[in-house]
Amino acid sequence: MKYALKIFHVLRLVLIERLIYRVNFALEILSGILSSLIIVLLWMAIFRSSDQPLIGGYTLAEMVTYLLGGGLINSLILTTAENPEASRSIQDGSLSFFLIQPLSPYWLWFFRDLGSKLFYFFLGLLGYLAVIFFFRAHLLWWASRAHFLFFLLSLLLASLLQFFLFEGLSLLSFWVENTYGIRFTMRVILEVVGGAIIPLSFFPLALQKIFLWLPFPYVVYLPMRIYLGKISLEEVQLEIVREIFWIAALAMVNLVLWRKGVHHYVSMGD
Amino acid sequence: MSPWGIESLTGIRRYGRLIRTLMKVSLMRHMAYRPHFFMMILGKIIRMALLFFFFQAIFFQVNRIGDWTFDQVLLLFATFHIADYLISITFHRNLAFGLPRKVQTGDLDSQIILPVNLLFFVSLEDLDMIDFFSFLPTLGFLLYVFYRLDFAFTWVQVLIYILLLANALIFLYAVILLVATTCFWTTQSFGLAVIFDNLMRIGRYPLDIFEGFWKALFIYFLPLVFIAQLPSQALWKTLSWPFILYAFLITGGFLALAFRFWKWGLKSYLSAST
Repeated sequence: MKYALKIFHVLRLVLIERLIYRVNFALEILSGILSSLIIVLLWMAIFRSSDQPLIGGYTLAEMVTYLLGGGLINSLILTTAENPEASRSIQDGSLSFFLIQPLSPYWLWFFRDLGSKLFYFFLGLLGYLAVIFFFRAHLLWWASRAHFLFFLLSLLLASLLQFFLFEGLSLLSFWVENTYGIRFTMRVILEVVGGAIIPLSFFPLALQKIFLWLPFPYVVYLPMRIYLGKISLEEVQLEIVREIFWIAALAMVNLVLWRKGVHHYVSMGD
Repeated sequence: MSPWGIESLTGIRRYGRLIRTLMKVSLMRHMAYRPHFFMMILGKIIRMALLFFFFQAIFFQVNRIGDWTFDQVLLLFATFHIADYLISITFHRNLAFGLPRKVQTGDLDSQIILPVNLLFFVSLEDLDMIDFFSFLPTLGFLLYVFYRLDFAFTWVQVLIYILLLANALIFLYAVILLVATTCFWTTQSFGLAVIFDNLMRIGRYPLDIFEGFWKALFIYFLPLVFIAQLPSQALWKTLSWPFILYAFLITGGFLALAFRFWKWGLKSYLSAST
């Protein structure tokens, strides 16, 4: 109960912090929505240019749903993707202060990240409602109730996967002075290989095979395939198990990095 | 007096020396974190490569987007990134993110009293050498696209391409300055800058494929076609002179407006420092 109260306070503080700059965050979300809108319009033009009803295995309605759903996941997960807090605290020495607090810094960053994602998700959802209304004629409902429940589960798992992936890179700050470059590169790869820009089925088969071996497609591509019913429920379960394996592996790497890093950590100053 | 305060040849030489010094300082600062420096360059090259795959993936499925063939879209894409890198190396982040930060913290005070034109300094203070080194492969990519197009254009077309690219940079400078200047009243304009960033990225797609309101918006009201579409079209089709003239006039108008707005904003500046 005491622990839950601490988590509640962390989430509350994140919300208060975000609300201070609410106009900027709202504008940031709005710009994400604008990007999604333009990408959808671009794809509508591409479908108009083509005489085929299916492009890359997607109908126009499936593509619009994929892009808008992907855009929403983007604002939920990728907008907060770079997890700079751990890196910053290690670099500027403020980790020393957090180490003596009643909540482990690692879990503090975890719940702060969760708070940020919730904030962006609800703000994004509000904005996306307008776009969803605009394109309502082209949007598809989920394939089945079971698919929708798995979709929600895959979103939760995607959020965890993203956290452990980027937190691990941030923790490299114990040994490397600046991890922004590594996190930036990872984000770039995640956006494309994760399927946030385009479904992976558009890529050549050889590239698709490589991409599907990596953890990135679990962030956008898998949730949207589940939502659209492009994957059977048996396959969904297998994919979810694989994703959990990736999350566990990344969490283990995080644990090792954190433990070794804290032992390696030196803080100087007053 | 010009808005940038450069009046004579001596002035130009002095500002040239200043730019060299700013580049040197920026390179020294970035090289202090070498792994970061090289990772950033690598990340930017990977981004370009993946976006190239994005377009290739589309053209695996369709032959054309509107009137645009794959090679023409690649030219548009390369031109957009040339413009994007050129503004990133120079003024983009300085104005869009650096200026609001200075206004918010009051750091602008110390720059107002420097013996250098303020707009020049806040526009070019931090020259991004990471983007400079990422720009070079993009230039190589543009040459590759020219090769794919069999260099099938005349010298006049190349000249118009360069002029329209310069026009694009000035247009972007004017719009970013307009957006950044709002920080004198709001004390933060990051949100607007992020919106413009995302809007600008639309310029890497062929905008004449849109219809109705969107087409009118991107061609006439917020003419994002100036960024990459117009220069790249100059290489593969004959642009009408009135439309080229229209592009220069609109850019001139935006620039004049931006300079006036900057002066007005500066007058409204209330120092926030202690």
